[in-house]
Amino acid sequence: MSKYLNLKPKVIGRRSSILGALLFAFFIALSAQFGPYNQTQLANVSMLLIAVLSITLLTGASGQISLGQGAIMAVGGYGAALLVVRLGINMWLAFFLAIFISALFGLFLGLAAARLSGPYLAGTTLVMALAIPSIAVRFEGFFSGDVGFSVDYGVPPEWLSNLVGEITIEEWSLYAVLPFTALALIAVLNLSNSRTGRSWRAVRDNEVAAALSGINISRSKVKVFVCASALAGLAGALYGFRGLVAPSVYPTDLSLTLLTAAVIGGLRSIGGAIFGTFVVVYLPDIIEKISGGLEISESIGTHLPALILGALLLLTVILNPRGAAGSLEHLRHHKKH
Amino acid sequence: MESLLTAIFSGTAQGSIYALVSLGLVLVWRGAGVVNFAQMGQAMFTTYIASQMIQNDYSYWSAFVVALAAGGLLGGLVDLGLMRPLTSRKNSQLLNSQSMRNAIPIIASLGILGILKALAGIIWAGEERGFPGPVQPNPISFGSTNLAITSFDLFVIAVVFFTLLLTTIFFTKTGMGLAMRASALNPEVTRLSGIKVSWVRTLGWIISGTASSLAGLLITPRTNLSPNTLDLLLIIGFTAAVVGGLTSLAGAVLGGFILGYVISFVSVYSAPENVFIAILLFLLFALFVRPQGILGSKEVRRV
Amino acid sequence: MLTIKNLVTQYDSIKALDDISFQAKPGVITTVIGANGAGKSTLLRTISGLERPTSGTIQWFDKELTRMSVEAIVRGGITQVPEGHAVISQLSVAENIELGGLFRKRIARGDLAKATTEVYELFPLLYDRRNEPAGSLSGGERQMLAISRALVSRPKLLLLDEPSLGLAPLITAQIIEIINNLCRNTGLTVLLVEQNANTALKVAEHGILLALGKVVADAPARELINDSALRTAYLGY
Repeated sequence: MSKYLNLKPKVIGRRSSILGALLFAFFIALSAQFGPYNQTQLANVSMLLIAVLSITLLTGASGQISLGQGAIMAVGGYGAALLVVRLGINMWLAFFLAIFISALFGLFLGLAAARLSGPYLAGTTLVMALAIPSIAVRFEGFFSGDVGFSVDYGVPPEWLSNLVGEITIEEWSLYAVLPFTALALIAVLNLSNSRTGRSWRAVRDNEVAAALSGINISRSKVKVFVCASALAGLAGALYGFRGLVAPSVYPTDLSLTLLTAAVIGGLRSIGGAIFGTFVVVYLPDIIEKISGGLEISESIGTHLPALILGALLLLTVILNPRGAAGSLEHLRHHKKH
Repeated sequence: MESLLTAIFSGTAQGSIYALVSLGLVLVWRGAGVVNFAQMGQAMFTTYIASQMIQNDYSYWSAFVVALAAGGLLGGLVDLGLMRPLTSRKNSQLLNSQSMRNAIPIIASLGILGILKALAGIIWAGEERGFPGPVQPNPISFGSTNLAITSFDLFVIAVVFFTLLLTTIFFTKTGMGLAMRASALNPEVTRLSGIKVSWVRTLGWIISGTASSLAGLLITPRTNLSPNTLDLLLIIGFTAAVVGGLTSLAGAVLGGFILGYVISFVSVYSAPENVFIAILLFLLFALFVRPQGILGSKEVRRV
Repeated sequence: MLTIKNLVTQYDSIKALDDISFQAKPGVITTVIGANGAGKSTLLRTISGLERPTSGTIQWFDKELTRMSVEAIVRGGITQVPEGHAVISQLSVAENIELGGLFRKRIARGDLAKATTEVYELFPLLYDRRNEPAGSLSGGERQMLAISRALVSRPKLLLLDEPSLGLAPLITAQIIEIINNLCRNTGLTVLLVEQNANTALKVAEHGILLALGKVVADAPARELINDSALRTAYLGY
């Protein structure tokens, strides 16, 4: 299966749609086996995966580095929350509108980013990651400050309960998120195999050569920012509706966690994005399990996951910059010969 | 009038610290082509070391010296252990692409930042703590009126000006300083002059580490110390470096002071909550109005 | 004696130098001529260590250069003046010259001062403009500065890459004459890469003709200068 999870031109649209549907079914089947805790964790994976995919597009496919994807999640989250709380719009509609709001934001960001590269872009997006949540505090009356908005997925609709029986809150939030994740996966697969995706890769590998072969570099960069921001904004909306949309939900560290997930899984691979997201979400649990017998102090327990993630990130860029997906492909390559 | 004086004095004191951070970033960028996002993580770590020493009853000054040395050591280690192998490596498929060659060192520096923060959290429990200065922040009075500047501010300004003076002498009067400028401007001609450019780069990392460690020691008496306190300083320093042109040492210092005044005027005349947005707007303004910076030259900007 | 044997340097799959062998005698000028893309610059860059050869050896007397770093090769007395009047234009004239001798500051401070005085005597023009940025110099002055930077390192072997590029014939002649005198008076060995074959062959004792990365002629300069068949075939005039 991993063969089709890599960003390769040979994957065609129909296959990816089937893949998305399969994955969707797989998650649903899987979720029934787990307790509420794992269902919540799986929901987290599904939400964050969408944001990690935005980095797969942005950095993996087009070579733009953003340290502010968490801030764009905040844009999507606040967008959806404001629509629901202030205007009383239906939650599902709000999610789709949040995609448009963040895509619009991505358009502006992309117009700025088209003129920046490498460290300038990284630095500017990092400043953005710190500045955007502070806007919520600054305009407290509108964005409700540090308190934020309490929003959630509500109760499962009756028809669904009638269909599959009693649904817990945890199951419901997972089921509500999964269709979006599947859509995002399909969209990213199709995008990266389209003409647009190929032009992104051309710009990534050599801007001059891409320009000479007739690709409009600025337009290409703006496009990828719009797509990536739409994804991140959707992820942010879904992430916020777990219970709270507030500055503390979208800290700077969130942006860095997303980048870590994308890098250790493999920046150029969708399978890698999935793997990386599982790692960042489940790492604290794994550590707890392993160190369960040992008596570790609270401060170690709190910071150990971050330490291991940092170390994994470093080891990946030093030893294997193509990430877990890259090594998998490498192994398969060796077996063949 | 009084608030104007406050803004000017506090802008000078803060700006001098930002100048150090910006100088550190520019030194590494010029030499190695890397913006080191871990820079203030390194400074945070060395300030914790100093804090630990003071707690163990060492004098402020011995802690001060140890922190500076640790800053230099950490900078050197980051280059030797990570950046040098990363930037000199060839033949990785990912590094064949232009943009990824730029991205990899940035990602690596974020990895260092994450590790240093987590380590500080594990070793020093991560909660916010105070950090002393060598002098009490007593307000300076002129005649009967209290000026809006403390003795600690004066100490900060004096230390930074002394450091900048030393740096200027180093770069303009010594052979090593010449080697550093030459390596940044044209590494190939410098190598062909028999100078070991990679070691000159490492020296740049060491000086940068020391300068940011000093910035950490000077800012924390005001802000307190926690693993995240210096993040703000990093983005201010980055903005200052961009304002100065990212390749000019003098521009970096000037940019630092400009940011100092912008921030202090915003917090005095507007509100401290507006500082973040002011930095973002100022950065965007600088990037679009004068992308080469106030002292940078247009052709050297690597875009 | 510079001895090059079976040298191959590749860029990806293209062989810029394809099995090159020749010798350059000490104390004289040997010139390497050839059309654009013949591999002349690659040859000098490989000798300097800027490019790593795929195979073959480069020996300076009994020292094998192919495994040495660029800096070690310079410190061993082999200095290159790269193509295009390579000076650092933001630094002053004096700083450019100082840069060339910087690595000798600790080992031979006295001689360094002497070498600096010598290059200023050689190029008095540079002394007059020593405090100006190198970027303000004319093409010819820049080339003189680039040579001066190399000379203060007291090289045994000087590698010159197209010193005549973009310069007026008169200035080229002046520069070549100075190099020629240095050779005669100090025993300096020179490997002169030139596209301008006539100028180069006039002062050189020996000539190597490169075409598409291969040595096609290796003969005393006065023989090459008269071989019109060779010139028409490989240099196109």
